[in-house]
Amino acid sequence: MSRRITYITALINGDPVRVREGLTVLDAARQAGIYIPSICYLENLKSYGGCRLCIVEIKGIKGFPTACTTPLEPGMEVLTKTTELQRLRSEILELILSEHPYTCLVCGDKKECMDFMHTTRKAGTITGCNFCTSNGDCELQDLIDYLDLKDVRYPISYRGIPPEKNNPFYDLDYNLCILCGRCVRICNEERNSNVLAFVQRGNTSIVGTSFNESQAEAGCEFCGACVDVCPTGSIAEKMGKWAGLPDRSTETTCTLCAVGCTMNVNTRGGRIVNVGPKPGGRTNPHQLCVRGKFLPADINHHPSRIATPMIRKNGKWIEVNWEEAIQYTAGKLEQYRGEQFGMICSAQDTLEENYSLQKFSRKVMGSNNIDLHLSYPDKELVKDIHSFNLSSSHTGTRDILKADTLLILGADASVSHPLLENRVRKAFTTGRTVLYANTHSTRTSQFANHEINYAAGEEYYFLYVLLAKLANPDGQFTKQNVAKAGKRSGVTGNELKPFVSALAGSRNLWVIAGDDLLRNASGRDTLRALGNLQFIKDGKANCTITFLGYEGNLYGGALSGAHPDLLPGFDPVTDKKAVRKWNKNWDTELSTGVGLACNEMLGNIKKDGIAALMVAGDIPPQKKLAKLKFLIQMNMFRTDLSEYADVVLPITSFLEHDGHFLTLDGKIKKLRRALAGPGKTKTIPGILSELAAAMSESGFSNSRPGSIWKEIQSFIQIPARDTGNGKHSFQPLTLKSPKETTDYPFRINLQHDHFTYRGNSLTALVPDLQAIVYTNDRIEKAKNG
Amino acid sequence: MAGSIVSIINKYAPRDKSNLIAILQDVQKKKGYITPEAVDKISSHLWISRSRIFGVASFYSQFKFTPPGRNSIKICLGTACHVQGGDFLLSALKSEIGISPNETTEDRRFDLERVACLGCCALAPVIMVNDTIFSNMSVVKLMELTDQYE
Repeated sequence: MSRRITYITALINGDPVRVREGLTVLDAARQAGIYIPSICYLENLKSYGGCRLCIVEIKGIKGFPTACTTPLEPGMEVLTKTTELQRLRSEILELILSEHPYTCLVCGDKKECMDFMHTTRKAGTITGCNFCTSNGDCELQDLIDYLDLKDVRYPISYRGIPPEKNNPFYDLDYNLCILCGRCVRICNEERNSNVLAFVQRGNTSIVGTSFNESQAEAGCEFCGACVDVCPTGSIAEKMGKWAGLPDRSTETTCTLCAVGCTMNVNTRGGRIVNVGPKPGGRTNPHQLCVRGKFLPADINHHPSRIATPMIRKNGKWIEVNWEEAIQYTAGKLEQYRGEQFGMICSAQDTLEENYSLQKFSRKVMGSNNIDLHLSYPDKELVKDIHSFNLSSSHTGTRDILKADTLLILGADASVSHPLLENRVRKAFTTGRTVLYANTHSTRTSQFANHEINYAAGEEYYFLYVLLAKLANPDGQFTKQNVAKAGKRSGVTGNELKPFVSALAGSRNLWVIAGDDLLRNASGRDTLRALGNLQFIKDGKANCTITFLGYEGNLYGGALSGAHPDLLPGFDPVTDKKAVRKWNKNWDTELSTGVGLACNEMLGNIKKDGIAALMVAGDIPPQKKLAKLKFLIQMNMFRTDLSEYADVVLPITSFLEHDGHFLTLDGKIKKLRRALAGPGKTKTIPGILSELAAAMSESGFSNSRPGSIWKEIQSFIQIPARDTGNGKHSFQPLTLKSPKETTDYPFRINLQHDHFTYRGNSLTALVPDLQAIVYTNDRIEKAKNG
Repeated sequence: MAGSIVSIINKYAPRDKSNLIAILQDVQKKKGYITPEAVDKISSHLWISRSRIFGVASFYSQFKFTPPGRNSIKICLGTACHVQGGDFLLSALKSEIGISPNETTEDRRFDLERVACLGCCALAPVIMVNDTIFSNMSVVKLMELTDQYE
């Protein structure tokens, strides 16, 4: 059914150009490597035809059509750079520049000035290139060069608007704005944030918000898309504003949530300039959210980042060299081999890191007490998810737009997984049916055709009623039970009607289920109910279910073995055959006892319980940790947990090492080292390798992520693939009699803090982020009275 | 106050973006200007962002964003009035009542607006206070004029 792509040939500047049918003249020229100047044009956005700089001459067409709005036709003869065009463009550019401080752009000393800056003078506001943050990265500078403009005949009409510095993460100086409209369009069309608009009219028109409120008040999500696309210095990132032009650009993967967006880290001299488009480009097809766009620079270059190993001796912290730190730690660890050792790692670590950590715990320390911090409270749940994933086809979340109906359950994805939610918004604006069910309204509600707010904690009962209305195989759902569940979920039949009819009529359904759904007492039941939904739909239509795990690599972490019951590849530690296999793989003798989960470890700190703990990242500090005999923290910062630690080892961040990461749609994504870690930081596998050597253990000699990845792949398959026996069937759902208690007259609905990295609170580390998180809270409170 | 805005908005179909200008006009008629609360309410009714609504409203000079004064002064700066020294009148008026065009005095006594023509160019320069036109104005006449309004 796929449409055949037809190609057409046209002449651009006399050369034949063969491109796909349906492109504009501008797109075709760019594909052929022919430059046509333009300011308002942005890849992936609708053509705008605003700046008029892309005018061309086309044989047989009167006047000068804009290349960005003219579709290329077979046999067209296009000229892009004639004297007449250049003259017209120069005039247009002059008009554009009449509202931009252009003095430096056309200064006679420009060339020398760029090299030696001999004419630099001090100025309060930006009046020319030397004081502009975008100097060297300004599209007007490129245009001036292309058109060879020597003088502008109009005086500068300086708007005299005070620069706005009250927003977190970026500053605005609308005196530099040339009203190309890119930021307005990307904010509305691509991100659907709808914060920016053109306000006023004529020569007072400007990009702004309603009643001049700040961007944050207008509901800005700080995705930074407008910062990336701005061709001038009007919108400039606070961090890296004066860092100069990047000398290196690295494409890597963001691990701050499970979507795993591709990100471009631009660095100069080993410091992050920004995370944004590749140098020379303006468009950034890999859209990011506030975490990916603004936080990496803040975390990596945070002033309280630690760079030297530290040992606590007689109650005092002493900075030591690595040799001493390793010898001391290894010596201590020798005393705590066996079940008294525990390991807590993070779901935001790479597969390699988690694999090394669990291997170290199992092989060297002889303990199966290993778990991800923030893993599911119910250990069985991750296994259920695994079998669910095995029996479902992995479809990339890019295909969300292929669905005709979307059901979003129990997730505030606009905060937890913004780029996935962005696709939901697009689906809504392009006419798909979006159904949204959560305990409360969120930003996603604005992009839903129908919304249901069910009672907090009663997700399962909501799904129960929904399923009962959709289908009733073998009369499983009795009237009585449905009525009971309906009452608990607080959802009325009228509210359900549009949901049921949309679900029943859907030919291609996509369900997005938030982690809140699974992280409660009836989590496993809820998962079963979702499986049933898929079963009901699957016969007649396509049904995909995507889980929004709280943290990056939650499932990947378990897959690489960071689980108390499971060896890598979901081999149970109680299975003798599996243990034999891993004994052979690692040349060791593994313990076959089920380990303790994160909470169990922390609850079991006592004399014959856990005595030593290794924490990769951070966990909330608690008094009972004082009873530990030995606590090692591997982290980028000293945190409250360090008060209880005996050794703190500085490690690299996700931008400072290679690795692999499993996204929520089951794709493997690569992390590439964008810069070196500060000071003497080491990678986690590097530290483990030295510790193992000091403890005379083998199997850890190669600490490079590449070779660890090879080792993982030689033993297990990541992502796990269907073995063919995990097909769904309708699973009976039970209705537990609710345990109502009068002891607790109210419920508290806990919300996960999505702004963490390796357990470190990003809100605590980055003050600008506090401004956003707390503003949103304030708005939420105001709305709820 | 918010109740009357809601009753205006509810006359129009929700989510139908084409109703925006009609609603804005009704609000302006009722309230005299477009309030931030009204923009909020319209935004959630029509599903248009507040910024976009403000963008549309601020494009048209018929919409005001400050509360109107008890007396509204329109000063003509069309061709004829301009030639006859309308600019001098405007600067005199500015210093007399202490506001610029599209603003309202703090005591709500006057609001000021500049218009392009009032249709009586033969009488230039002209000023319109509420519904009355004052012709062949001068700075002295202007001073006396403002005293008459409370």
